[in-house]
Amino acid sequence: MKKKLAVILMSSILAVSSLVGCGNTPASESGTENANTSAAEANTSSDAKTITVWAWVDNFNVAVMKEAAEVYKKTNPDANINVDVVSLSKEDVYVKLQTALAGGGSGLPDIVLLEDYVSGKYLNTFPGSFADLTDSFDYSQFLDFKVDAVTVDGKTYAVPFDTGATALYYREDILEQAGYKEEDMQDLTWDEFIEIGKDVTEKTGTPMIVEIANNKTTLVRAMMQSCGLWYYDQNGDINITNNEALKAAFETILKMKEAGILYEAESTEGRAAALNNGQVASVVNAPWFISSIKQAEDQSGLWRAVRIPRFSNISSSVNASNVGGSSWYVLESSANKDEAIKFLQGVWQGNTDFYDTILLNQGAMGSYIPAYSTAAYDAEDEFFGGEKINALFAEILPDVVPVNFGGYVAEANDAITTALADLFAGKTDVDGALAEADAQLRNQLGR
Amino acid sequence: MKRKKKAGPNYNIYGWIFISLAFLLYIIFTIYPAIDSLLLAFQSFEGGKYTFVGLKNFKRMFGDAIFLKSLGNTFLYMVIQVPIMLLFALIIATLLNSKFLKFKGFFRTSVFLPCVTSLVAYSIIFKMLFSLDGLLNQVLIKLGILDAPYQYLQDSTWARAVIIIAMIWRWTGYNVIFYLSAMQNIPKETFEAAKVDGANAVQTFFKITIPQLKPIVLLTTIMSTNGTLQLFDETMNITQGGPANATITVSHYIYNQSFVYAPNFGYASAISYMVVFIMIILAIIQFTVAGKED
Amino acid sequence: MHNKEYRIFKKVLLHIALLIVVLISIFPFIWMLTGATNKSVDVTNGALHFGKSLGENWANLQSSANVFLVFLNSMKITLIYTFVSILICSMAGYGFEKYRSKGKNIVYSLFLFSMMIPFSAQMIPLFKMASKANMLNSHTAVILPTLAMPFLVFFFRQSFQSYPTELIEAARIDGANEFTIFFRLVMAPMKSTFAAGAIYAFMKQWNNYLWPLIVIQTNEKKTFTLLLSSLASAYYVDYGQLMLAIVLATIPIIIVFLTMQKQFVEGIVGSSK
Repeated sequence: MKKKLAVILMSSILAVSSLVGCGNTPASESGTENANTSAAEANTSSDAKTITVWAWVDNFNVAVMKEAAEVYKKTNPDANINVDVVSLSKEDVYVKLQTALAGGGSGLPDIVLLEDYVSGKYLNTFPGSFADLTDSFDYSQFLDFKVDAVTVDGKTYAVPFDTGATALYYREDILEQAGYKEEDMQDLTWDEFIEIGKDVTEKTGTPMIVEIANNKTTLVRAMMQSCGLWYYDQNGDINITNNEALKAAFETILKMKEAGILYEAESTEGRAAALNNGQVASVVNAPWFISSIKQAEDQSGLWRAVRIPRFSNISSSVNASNVGGSSWYVLESSANKDEAIKFLQGVWQGNTDFYDTILLNQGAMGSYIPAYSTAAYDAEDEFFGGEKINALFAEILPDVVPVNFGGYVAEANDAITTALADLFAGKTDVDGALAEADAQLRNQLGR
Repeated sequence: MKRKKKAGPNYNIYGWIFISLAFLLYIIFTIYPAIDSLLLAFQSFEGGKYTFVGLKNFKRMFGDAIFLKSLGNTFLYMVIQVPIMLLFALIIATLLNSKFLKFKGFFRTSVFLPCVTSLVAYSIIFKMLFSLDGLLNQVLIKLGILDAPYQYLQDSTWARAVIIIAMIWRWTGYNVIFYLSAMQNIPKETFEAAKVDGANAVQTFFKITIPQLKPIVLLTTIMSTNGTLQLFDETMNITQGGPANATITVSHYIYNQSFVYAPNFGYASAISYMVVFIMIILAIIQFTVAGKED
Repeated sequence: MHNKEYRIFKKVLLHIALLIVVLISIFPFIWMLTGATNKSVDVTNGALHFGKSLGENWANLQSSANVFLVFLNSMKITLIYTFVSILICSMAGYGFEKYRSKGKNIVYSLFLFSMMIPFSAQMIPLFKMASKANMLNSHTAVILPTLAMPFLVFFFRQSFQSYPTELIEAARIDGANEFTIFFRLVMAPMKSTFAAGAIYAFMKQWNNYLWPLIVIQTNEKKTFTLLLSSLASAYYVDYGQLMLAIVLATIPIIIVFLTMQKQFVEGIVGSSK
């Protein structure tokens, strides 16, 4: 009896001590070459340096960075580095990054991908945590609005990656049923778009445009930036109640609803289903959204893409805008900071072949201007009826007006979403909704 | 208390030895971080630095409309969802414990299954079920109850109902496990004696099963109250807190303050401790109510 | 005769009632299983029939991540965690219940109190500790902080109430030492309690998300929940691939539950003897 007890006790002690043991030597436990990346400081003695990158979409920016690592190895055979691209969800990247930065700065990657919308938040909240890259890149070669988004007080902190240049994707076959041709869809105003939408919805029974019910900010942001305006002005002050673009956006979306041409999907899944099932005729979104549309293989050749509509009553409004987009940051605390910067320079600046590869393989449209004149932009896309879709984006991008995103886009999106829900529920009018959003945002930011 | 006398000082030390491992781990990994984060509640995090702000974070809560809304929502979920779920669980556990039941294994496993579903799958399913052209709308239209599809997640009452339904679906079977394991610890003789006395199923349920299960019912009540007060996954994944923050919970708001908005760890921590305070009060109430029935 | 018919009617009613519960419970699983064999488009359309894309989904999943490694990581963490936490918490629950004293009651209240602190409030201090101890990116760091689960201690203490103290005292008179009594005498008849506790611990760790997310730094150490999370939040979500991953993540828990079910059943047999 006592023997058995001793065995149980021993084995439990072993189990506990082996746990403690493997904690002290995380690197030796696993033989893989990347196992010790977290303790980047500790492995300076080993010959190859590992650069850890956090990114968030497997078949998009993660794949792109893996490709970049391959390219760098080929063009710089002497550089003794490994690149480990860790794929997390976008929300997870933020949670990890914020915990690590607030927890004293260990456990951080060497390079991280961040959305331009959160750029201000990280640069303001954690000053000194990101490497100043102002002198490391020739930023005149990158799109203005992308560089602006990652610049604070004259210092630029990131290498611009993809853009969210917006297009209006629509079903050519459905519009044709209602008697509209491709030339009727060029450079519209939102009023014209709504008129066409009413006609299409009436004649075909298919709602004209889809947006997510609980979060209509994609449309709002696209409309707002097309006028060069944002939730915040150039000084970073809240700009909601007197924001004519935001007001026009609210009015336009409400008009869409009242005209019965707006399909409100309950979720991102619902939006994908509505598009793939042919239940809606159009959607406004960024280049990466094409992969969602293309899931419906039977709709090949039926889609077209054009510039988004503009506001007729706002003079600054253009047929071009942007939603989202992201950039690569180097952590100031990284033990491999110099190598990480060299790696980014070696691939993201000057190598147009690389930009072609990621455009063709991942549909990633970079922000590097010299890359826009390559042959890859003349490729015709069968899914869009042979349209030169990349050329369209290359044409839209220079027209996108830079705005100051400020540090608090998530807060503003939440306030707008709440106000729009009340507006749609008939609890308030447009001005009331704007005032409500303004109040909520001020409360959140303590202003 | 009688037992205490019987266990001499010698045994007392054995008791401490039994507890020691858990207690040690607990001090290191719970008490210490808890104190550390309590200190955080009196600080503000701006420009990469913590500064002491006294009670500012606590004062802010009372003027914060979203926080108050999230608190109200959380209580609403708790008051409606917990009792319904626990009653269902008790009934199902009683049915599963019936000696007449065939295919016990099949039934038990099936009932238990919902709580093992990955959150991702479960939230996608519920979103699709209640979507504009989802199953529910289709069925209701076919039955002639609805003329046109209804937007459940756009209506604040319905959106809350969806969260409650989802939680009941997911967690009822989980509670069944605890009830079932406790029912199996009730000696069979007790039931047989009741039967001899002529008690019917309903009487047996209220007179024997429930009193015997009291400790476990209390346990699951506290556990569920706790779970509801920390409710986050469902609202985050099914409604994102919308429409117009109608479904947001306190935990969801803490998450937003920590990770979605510009990080405000001090305020998030202050809210956390407000939740702790509320839970303590609720636990005291639950223990007192349970104690009085004795 | 009448009585017999009534009993049959009751039996039928019992089975029908439970069948309805079962149907509601397992519907999403059928959907998950069929989803794993369908294309993304069909999944979003709510297809409830089996498709032909299982192979394709599997290939996609494997190109997204080293599924076997991720699976092994999760399995290793969860098994060690379940074993150790059950041991530690059952001992503590036993200590609190059968060796009552004022000091222990205070400690016990502390345990209950901590059940109420949201994990998000402890995260940053815990992260600091893990980084100071140089334990970031280790599976140990995933396991250690939550080993002493207040709920399990509470659960075991409640359950040990039903174990007769007289039996313990009798064993003492026979000269058995305290540990022998616990490991030999008390554990055996409480199988269904330990089974329920093990299921709880297994599920808790297998689905653990926030903390592994914070401490795990590399692809080699990732757990299944982290993989699911990254699959589910892409710009374009491949639902077929996602459903397959979800099915794979669910299978181990079902196996554990089926295994533990034996212990439940033995629990009944034990008490009827």
